[in-house]
Formats: sequence, C-alpha cells, structure tokens
Amino acid sequence: MNAVPGAGASRRAVLALLFPIMLVNLIGFIVPMLNLGLLSFKEALTGGGIGEKFTLANWVTLVTDDFNRELLLNSVGVSLAITVAALVLSYPIALYIQRAEGLWRSILIVLVISPLLTSAVVRTYGWVVILSDQGGLPSLLNAIGLTAPRMIFNTTGVIVGLTEILMPYMIVSLLAGFGRLDPRLEEAAATLGASPIQSFWRVVFPLTLPGVALGCLLVFVLSVSSFITPKLLGGGRVFLLATEIYDQAIVTLNWPLAATLSILVLVLFGLVLVVYGRAVAALD
Amino acid sequence: MSLDAIGSVGGSHAPGEAGYLSIEALSKHHGAARSVDSLSLSIEKGELVALLGPSGCGKTTTLRMIAGLTPATSGRILVAGNEVTAVPTHKRDMGLVFQSYALFPHLTIAQNVAFGLEMRRLPRVEIRTRVAAALEMVHLSGREDRKPSQLSGGQQQRVALARALVIKPSILLLDEPLSNLDAKLRDEMRNEIRDIQTRLGITAVFVTHDQVEALAMCDKVAVMEAGRLSQVGTPEDVYERPANPFVASFVGRINRVAVEGRGNNAVAFQDQLFRTEHSVIGPATMMVRPHRVAIGTDDGARSGTANSLRGHVVRVTYVGDLLQYDVDIGGTSFMVEAATRGIAAAFRVRDAVRLEWQPADTLVFGAAP
Repeated sequence: MNAVPGAGASRRAVLALLFPIMLVNLIGFIVPMLNLGLLSFKEALTGGGIGEKFTLANWVTLVTDDFNRELLLNSVGVSLAITVAALVLSYPIALYIQRAEGLWRSILIVLVISPLLTSAVVRTYGWVVILSDQGGLPSLLNAIGLTAPRMIFNTTGVIVGLTEILMPYMIVSLLAGFGRLDPRLEEAAATLGASPIQSFWRVVFPLTLPGVALGCLLVFVLSVSSFITPKLLGGGRVFLLATEIYDQAIVTLNWPLAATLSILVLVLFGLVLVVYGRAVAALD
Repeated sequence: MSLDAIGSVGGSHAPGEAGYLSIEALSKHHGAARSVDSLSLSIEKGELVALLGPSGCGKTTTLRMIAGLTPATSGRILVAGNEVTAVPTHKRDMGLVFQSYALFPHLTIAQNVAFGLEMRRLPRVEIRTRVAAALEMVHLSGREDRKPSQLSGGQQQRVALARALVIKPSILLLDEPLSNLDAKLRDEMRNEIRDIQTRLGITAVFVTHDQVEALAMCDKVAVMEAGRLSQVGTPEDVYERPANPFVASFVGRINRVAVEGRGNNAVAFQDQLFRTEHSVIGPATMMVRPHRVAIGTDDGARSGTANSLRGHVVRVTYVGDLLQYDVDIGGTSFMVEAATRGIAAAFRVRDAVRLEWQPADTLVFGAAP
C-alpha cells in the first residue's frame, strides 16, 4: 500500500484503476441522467411523441398543478410516516440483537435479513392476503366484534406494507450505528443513580443517534422510490411520485413529465442527504 | 474552590458495630461453577481495602455484586447496618470507577461529572459548584468543555474518579483503575487516589491483580483464590505472615522447597536442618523471600543462628537496582536478590556460594505437630 495519491506515477496508477468504473458510471449513470434532464424540458405530444421544441411547461405544472403538488406532499408525508413507523418498530429489535451474544445473535441477524431473500412483490401479495377486506386481519377484528377499518387500497395499506418491507434495512442500519454502545456505560449510569429509563434517554439513545440517522435516511429514500408495493397495496388510489412516474412513462406515455418528476425525486434526495449530513455533523 | 465543596462522604455509622461495609457469606454460582464462594468481609469506615487475586479469582464479580451490577446467588451485603443486597444499583449510592473508565463519549467532561448530580435533581448552581470542585481536585480545571476522546488515558481516569466522587457515594469502588495506564502514570495515580481517599475519609474497595498496588495503597488486603478469601490483613500481615503458600507466592517473589517437618521449630531439607518459628510435622513447604537471603563466598564464616545452604550460581540477571541470582542447591533452584553496590561485588555463573537467612524469614506451611 505505497500508493500515495498525488505522487506522480502512483497517481496515474490510481486513475488507471479507477477508469473502468468511471467509464461505467459515465455511460450507465451520468449520460442517462443528463438525457433525463434534457427530456424534462421537451414538449410532450399526444400519443407519446416527444417534440423538438424546448419548453418550461413541464416544470411550471409542478407548481401550478394542484395534483402534482399533492403528489410531492403525499410522497414526503407517507414516506415520513413509514420512516417513523419502521424506526419505532425496529429500534427495540435492534437493541435486543445488539445485546444478544454468540450463536443466538447470528440467528437473529439472519432472521432479520431473511425477508430480503424474498421478492418485494411476493411479500406485498402476502400483505394483500392479510389486509384485504376478506383477509386475515379484518376477519379477525370482525370476529372479536370490532369494526375493521379499510386497510387495503388506501394509504394505510401502503404504510403497513412498506414499513414491514423496509424494516430489515432499518434494523441493519441501526445495528451498524450502535458501535459506541458499551454496556459499561449503562452500568456507569446506574452507579451514578440513573434509573433504567433515565439511562436509556440520557446515555443509550444519544449514542444510537448515528444509527438512527442512517436508518431513517435509507428507509426514507427507499420508500419514496419504491413503486411495486404502493402500486399493489394502493390499488391505484394512492398517488405517489414513484407510481405517477410509472403511470406517466408507461401508461400515459408522457415521457417529458415522467422525466420532470424523476428529476424532482432526485432533488428531493439531494435535500435529504444535506439534512442527513448536517445531522451527522451535529452528532459529532 | 476547595475540597470542602466535596465535603465528607457517607452516612453516620456508630463505631463498634460490624464494619461499615459488611459482606456476609456472599456467593455467585454459575450452575455448578462458583465464581465467588461464601465470601465474608468486613470493612471499617474510611478504610481502603484491596481485593487482590489472579484473574478469574472472583474479585471483580465480588465488586460487581457490591455495586449491584451482578445479582448475588446468596449472602448479604450491608452498608452502615442496612442490607442493600436487593437494592438496585441506581439506588445503592456507590461510586464505581471502571477499568475502561466508561466515560460517556457524547458528553463533555463537565457533563460527565455532573451526570450523577443531575440524576439527584440538585439545583443547577450547586451542580456547577461541585463539578468545578471535583475537577479541581483531580487537576482538570479548564478542561470542562472537552470530550473524553480529547483527553489522555490518565486524564480520563481522573474524570472517572471525579465523576464517581462528586456524588459523595457511601462507598467508592475501584475496578483495576490503574491497569490501563503506563507505569509512570500508574505510580502517580496510585498516590493521588490514596491521597484523595484519605482526605475525603471515604470507604473504598480496590480490585487489583497487582500486589505492589495492593500493598502500597491499601489499609487492608484481602487475597482471593478461586472464589474464596485466602487471607485478610494489613499489607505487612499478608507479606510477612502469609496464611498459606498461595498468599505467600502471590504477594511477591518467593522460593519454595519441599521439606520434612521435624517439630520443635525445625524442618529438614537434603539431610540438613533449618530453623524456623513454626513447628510442623511431616511433609511441608518451606518458603523464603529472595531479598531476605544473603549471598556470600562459600568459605565465608557461618553466622551462628542463620539458616545456611551451599550451591553454585547458574544465572545472574542484572535489573539495575537489583542483582537476581538463580542458585542451584543440589538440583533445586533458589532465587536470591541483592541490591547492587557496584559491579565488583557481583558473583558470576558457576561461582560456589553460601546462602544465609534468618529463622524469622523462614516461612513453613504444613501439618501442625
């Protein structure tokens, strides 16, 4: 490992080694993104055609069209709800795994990751079975005399399904961020007179914030961009950015608007990354 | 600001009762294994007592049971006559200094020290005063706003000490507090901890595997072996009058030879009689500390009352202030230590020598006659 960046020959070697992946990124990512950006300023013709003229019309509709504004707010709102739900449900699990030892810990981690081995489509259909009107959960609620609210083909269904599907990412992120959590610290807090609850809020929770930030970033981004689950569990009645991009690109064949919405999502992710960077910097 | 802001520590305790901290038949079993086995120990108010033993002897487990971090299988712990065995840690009012310091990495030095006071919901002004006094006590004034990671190991150790003392705990527990420090710093912290403990008059239990630390710092030393107490006594007691060969060999280097007890303050080794202050019969162990043995030329005159052995030098180790000789005495190796007084006095390998030591320095363990 003698390669010191900036040291003549070795710098050239580093660039040479980086060249293949830079080329792949250029062809596979940068050029298409630029293309997409370009497309968002093109005119959409009826029947799926793309006009030659440049126009700001697509971007103007984002602000003027109530539906498009609602799409953005809906997407952010639903994704935030999913992020919070996944965090609240995952945190105790992650904390328990963090404290488990040996084989039991390995088994738990495999159990957490194993849902990722199944396609999200299959898992979403699982939720359809559970949440649909004649499905498991409503039947159960009705059987014990409660009136089951509608839990599928609405926002509730999307939130329930995506929360479960994204929880493994949250748990793994939390575990990755729990590095500074030393059981001695809680013992020290106890000897100083902190009850278990005080010890959690004053010592454990602050030390897990890097993991919390990472998990929230990941789950938020994944839920904004996930499309299959909202499509299936939303039943065409929940309008989110990702599903709308699909509809515009595949159903309506309005590629310029789809491109505009895609760029909007990219900008949103950029903002989220800035917030995450600030949060992590503040934690250090 | 002075130490008065820290003030004296601990509750009132009438003298004459069983110790201020009293441990009665304390045990910790893990299935069949007994990491602490029926340990009883009484500590007076203001005493610094060492729990000394090799790793795995149960000394840290004992400390953790006193702090309430590990539940006891059986037995009782009393502080000032009140049983605390079932009291949870956060209500026990004991200060613990961890081997790894266990400072809160996300809090500043001042916030670390203030933690225990905030848990006690003291007024802000008082917290500030006491934190400042505690940091001054450990010479860390001016570092209030640093994070623990910005301090050296020795400084972190001082913060841990200040954090444990600022709450005026009834008992201060120290778990190998010096073992992560380098040798020079260790000596310094040793004196500092002892000074602070004496000034505050706080009752303290000090866990260590280092006999020098235990002997140098503590009023009493409790030597543990395999979950049991081997001996409790002053540093002089355990060093000069060890209760058994384990204690004798654990608190310092010592020679050990198998002998035959003959009663009447005499033991036999290689057809030679040795005088001692103990009378034993049958197979026994004779132990002599290397620095209590005088080494001289073989033809030197024998002093009247001393025990004496002849042998020849097989190894000389020069360690600066000491010369360590390994002397072969008819197939058995015997260690001798002599202060260096210029190189001329040193014996060399294969030199024939005579070893002499006093009967009072001849420890013998065996069956009583």
